[in-house]
Formats: sequence, C-alpha cells, structure tokens
Amino acid sequence: MANPEASIIRLEGLRKEFDGVLAVQGLDLRVREGEFLCFLGPSGCGKTTTLRMIAGLETPTAGEIYLREKKITRLPPQERNVGFMFQNYALFWHMSVFDNLAFGLRVRRTAPGQIDRRVREVADMLELAQVLDVRAAKLDLSAMQRVAMARTLAVDPDVLLLDEPLNNFRPGLRERMRGELKRWQHQLGRTMVYVTHDQEEAMTLGDRILVMNEGRSEQLGAPRYIYEHPANLFVAGFIGRPAMNFLEVEFKREGEAGLLQRDGLRLRLPRDLTAALESLPSSRLVLGLRPQHLRIAENGTAREGGVFRAVVDLVLPLARKQVVDLKLGDELIKMVLPADRPLLVDDAVSVAIDADRIHLFDRDTGRAIR
Amino acid sequence: MESRRLREFTDAVLRWLAGIIVCAIFLLPLIWVLSISFKPPEEWIAYPPRLIPEKITTSNYVVLFQPGNPVGGVGAMVSAAEPVTRAFINSIIVVPIATAASLVIGFLAAYATTRFQAGGKSLPLFVLTTRMFPPVAFAVPLLVYFRALGLIDTQLALILMYTGFTIAFSLWMTRGFIEGVPKSIEEAAILDGASRWRVLFTITLPLVKGGLAATGLFVFILNWTEFLLAQIFTSRQAITIPVQVSHYVGAVGRFYGPMAALGVVASIPVVVAGYIIQRHLVTGFTFGLVRE
Repeated sequence: MANPEASIIRLEGLRKEFDGVLAVQGLDLRVREGEFLCFLGPSGCGKTTTLRMIAGLETPTAGEIYLREKKITRLPPQERNVGFMFQNYALFWHMSVFDNLAFGLRVRRTAPGQIDRRVREVADMLELAQVLDVRAAKLDLSAMQRVAMARTLAVDPDVLLLDEPLNNFRPGLRERMRGELKRWQHQLGRTMVYVTHDQEEAMTLGDRILVMNEGRSEQLGAPRYIYEHPANLFVAGFIGRPAMNFLEVEFKREGEAGLLQRDGLRLRLPRDLTAALESLPSSRLVLGLRPQHLRIAENGTAREGGVFRAVVDLVLPLARKQVVDLKLGDELIKMVLPADRPLLVDDAVSVAIDADRIHLFDRDTGRAIR
Repeated sequence: MESRRLREFTDAVLRWLAGIIVCAIFLLPLIWVLSISFKPPEEWIAYPPRLIPEKITTSNYVVLFQPGNPVGGVGAMVSAAEPVTRAFINSIIVVPIATAASLVIGFLAAYATTRFQAGGKSLPLFVLTTRMFPPVAFAVPLLVYFRALGLIDTQLALILMYTGFTIAFSLWMTRGFIEGVPKSIEEAAILDGASRWRVLFTITLPLVKGGLAATGLFVFILNWTEFLLAQIFTSRQAITIPVQVSHYVGAVGRFYGPMAALGVVASIPVVVAGYIIQRHLVTGFTFGLVRE
C-alpha cells in the first residue's frame, strides 16, 4: 500500500463474447493497491464475467489483464495468486473446516508444520479456531462465509475477488456481515474487488465504485462522487433510492436569464449555467431531480429555480419520512418528505426546485451536462 | 380444532394403511418363496396353501449343492442338475466386475459430458439409444461376433455385455448427481491450484459417492438377475444363477422347492450389498444448503 496510485490490476480493452453475445465490451480499468473496489450494476451487466476473467475462470475474447504489471491474460487460474470468494461459498462440504483451509496449501506441497501454523493463523483471524474439526456442511451461514474468506486468505493471495458473497443472507444478517467484511478489509489491508448488484452495499463498502451496464463501464469513482455527479442518465437513474426523477425539458433564453421549460414547469437558471447551456448544440435536455432535493414550497418563490403545482397520487409512509408520488401532467414525480408533514391523496401542492441541486443531461447522448 | 385433529389422525391411518398394502404386495412373494424353500415336494403346490410348512425340511438347500442327495425325494428329482456352486462362482465374478466397470466408465463419461460437453451435447442421448431396443435385438449379431472371438460360454463375454448394457444407466444416473455439485466448488479447488484429476477425485467424487452407491446397487441388481443374455451366451462353463434356476425343471414339472431355495440363497448378496450401501443412500445430498 506504499503508493496508493500504483495499480495492482490493470484491464486493457477487455472483451468477452459468449456464443456471439457480448458480455463485456472493451473494459479499461486500474485497480489501486489496497483499495476496496465495487463492481456495481444490474444482473447481466458483465460484472461477474469481468471478475471471473481476472481470476482466470473465463478466458477473454480480446484485451489484456495485468497483475502488478505482469501480463496474466492467458495464465491458468492457479498461477495468478488471486483469491476468489464465490456467491455460494463453494466450500468443500465433505471436509472439515481445517481441511478446507489447508486444501490450497496441501496442493502447493507446503510442509505440514507450516500448513498447521498458517491454518491456525487465518482461523484465529476469522474466529474459526473453535470449529476447525467441524464438517463444513454442518456450519451456520455466517461461519460458512468466514470459512470461505479464510480459505481464500490461507494461500496469501495478492488480490481478493468477491462475487456477491452476501447474497444468501436474510436482511438483518446481511447488514451485520457487511460490517464484518468492512472490518476484515481494514484488518487485512488487502486489495478487494467486490461484485454486487446492491447499491447500498457498494456505497457502504467501496472506496470506489465501477458502475457497469450492458458490458460497459458507465462511471468509476468514489461512492459520494458518483451519487452527486452521475456521469449519465443510466448512473443517475441507477444510484440513489428512490430513483432520480427525469423530465424532458427545453432550454430557452428569456432576456438575461436562461429557462428550462415544459408543461406546468418553468425553471429559472443561474447565470453560469445559462452560459454553459447556450454553448450546447441542442436545447433538448433531460432534467434530473433527486426525490430528496424537492421540497414543498411555502409562501414566496425562489429567485432562482422554480415551483410547480402537482397533485398527490400516492403516499408511502416510512418510519421517519414518507415517499410521495406526485402527478405533473402525465409524469409521476417522487419526492421524499419528513414524516411529520401531513399529506393526503389528491392534495394539490406546490413543489420547489433549487436550481443548484438539479442535474441536466443531453437528451440525445444521455451524458451529464451538470 | 377437533375436526382438524381428527383429520390428522385419519391422514396418518391412511398413510400407514397405504404403506402396509404396498409392503404386503412386495413382500408377500418373498415370504412365499422363503416358505416354499423349506417345504417337502408334496407341500410345494398343496391346496389349501400353508404359509408355515407342515414338515420343515432343509433338503431343498442341500440338493442345490449336492444333487441326488438326500437319496429319494427331492434328491432323486434333481439328481441330473449341476451343483449350484459353479453358477454361484460365475455370478460372483461376473456381476461385481461388470458393475464396477460400468460404474467407472459411466461416471467418467458422465463427468466428461456434463462438465466439458465431451462428444457434443447429444452424446449421452446416443448412449441411451442402447436401451431403446430389446437386448434380444442385439443378441444375434453379438452371438456371431462372440463366436468368431471364441467368447461363447465364457465369463468375459458376460462381463463385456453386462458392462455395455448398463453403461447407459450408470451414465445417466451419475450425471444427475454430478450436476448437483456446483461448478464453483470445483473452480474453488482449481483456484487453489488443484489439477483436474485431483479435483475429480478429492472434491467431486466424495461429494457424489452417495449417488454412486445408489447407481452401483441398481446396476448390480440388474446384472445379478439378468437371464436372457446369460441363457443365450452360456451353456455349461459360464452359467449364472438365473440360468441355474431354470434348470430345476423336470419332465413332470417344476421343482419349486430347489428353485425357491436358490432364490433365497441368490438374494443374500443383494441384501448384504444393499445393507452396506444403505448408509450412503440415506446420508443426504448436502448441496442444497446454500442456494445458487
């Protein structure tokens, strides 16, 4: 971890085709030494395939993989020194915990004394010392996860690759195991690449997140940054819950000020944004509004931004907040409000938009303008 | 509340009843065979039938091994038959070897076809076609081959045929068990540095051994009771127990007593094998623990 900028894994134009279907199309990536990187995306976006290519369980159709700047693209999995934790843990059910942990070391013909020492070391680290003699099939889920983790660690890999290891847990346990994972990562100081489709998991665990869709990288960055500055419509819609509202709007100039306009909505823009939008070839935009950033307008309108009138369509109360569906013409807009603001279905409300909290996207390319 | 308890009770009664009826249907012939095997000739087909023999005798068993003994009675009836020893030895040699060979080939083929699609997607189906014709359809051409090879009336002929005819079962049954082992378990072992063969023998094989035991027992019983091919391809040297059973027929009728006695003796190895394997049959297949 000496140099945080040093990349431990580098992917170069990585592609994978399965029977003519493109699973991964041209992925470039640098994984930094010691970081926790999450691959996040809907199922079928190529995240697991990418992980499996790094491990050597799939062969890329094109592109190269480097581990510490050594080309490993065609190297068999066992010569790469990467650890892989499977979604179903893939424990050797018929063996004891000890034999599970010792398997890799035995294959490598490590001296018995050394095997014993190393197994006890990782077992201590993951609180498995008590169950070393138990058969893997008899363990509870949390212990299975720890055995899976310990087994990948036993052979001291350069990188740990984790494929949705929390998928099998019920919600409460899932959050606890998530905490465990985060702690291990701190303790072990290993580089971890973690695949998940759960954005909350990616947000809490990842130092950085790679958002993937349809075999492509959509955005790479710190969780907070991706949330605040989504690079395109896909990322904007995928990250954040409830999902960001999208409205098609036209950009217009009215005297000094710039305006975003559509039926039932006029939004006045600050000067710098107006200038930026003017330089664009198209005035057809998509306005992105986070449900959390909308508020009920009390008296008086803002100088910048705008107010629109809408009708409450549905109220979903949660413990400390409520999610409200509003009808603006044919569009449904979600907003999140504190629970103490009473609202009834069919109420007419005025909703305020702050101009400095909006997101704007080019309607044709989907790319973020702001 | 009351009616629910009543329903549960009647459900249990009906379940037991169904179980008893099924068991009776399957066990009654067995018990009957056991009963006949201890009966003297005059009681074999006496009417009304009795479950417990009036005069219990072991001569049906003695005569199997020493035809013509005891003098008179059953002994006189089957004095022309061969002692059962030869058939027994043949069966004991042919059946386990053929079963083991079928199991080994079937398992390896199943592994290759499930994990590597070896031979293409439809190879297992082709193997299955060997069971789509009655064995007698193969018997005549095989007879020609085996005569040319000098294999008529040899143990080897039976071993070859029994292995070949049961490979389809071994392949298809073990396929199901291998598919039950998640691929990721093997991948985990490969990532740990294990070779393909090591994965096969230290990971996959132990995980499917229950299934292999079940398959083995099934194939063993098939081979142990095979009559048609043995009847066609053997005459004296290589006869097996089912063929020997058919020898207890005289000009005046069937010798039910020795037939039943041989039936009892012949089922002993199967019962023993089943008992040994039972433990593996019961131990569950634990892959379902974590959902995929």
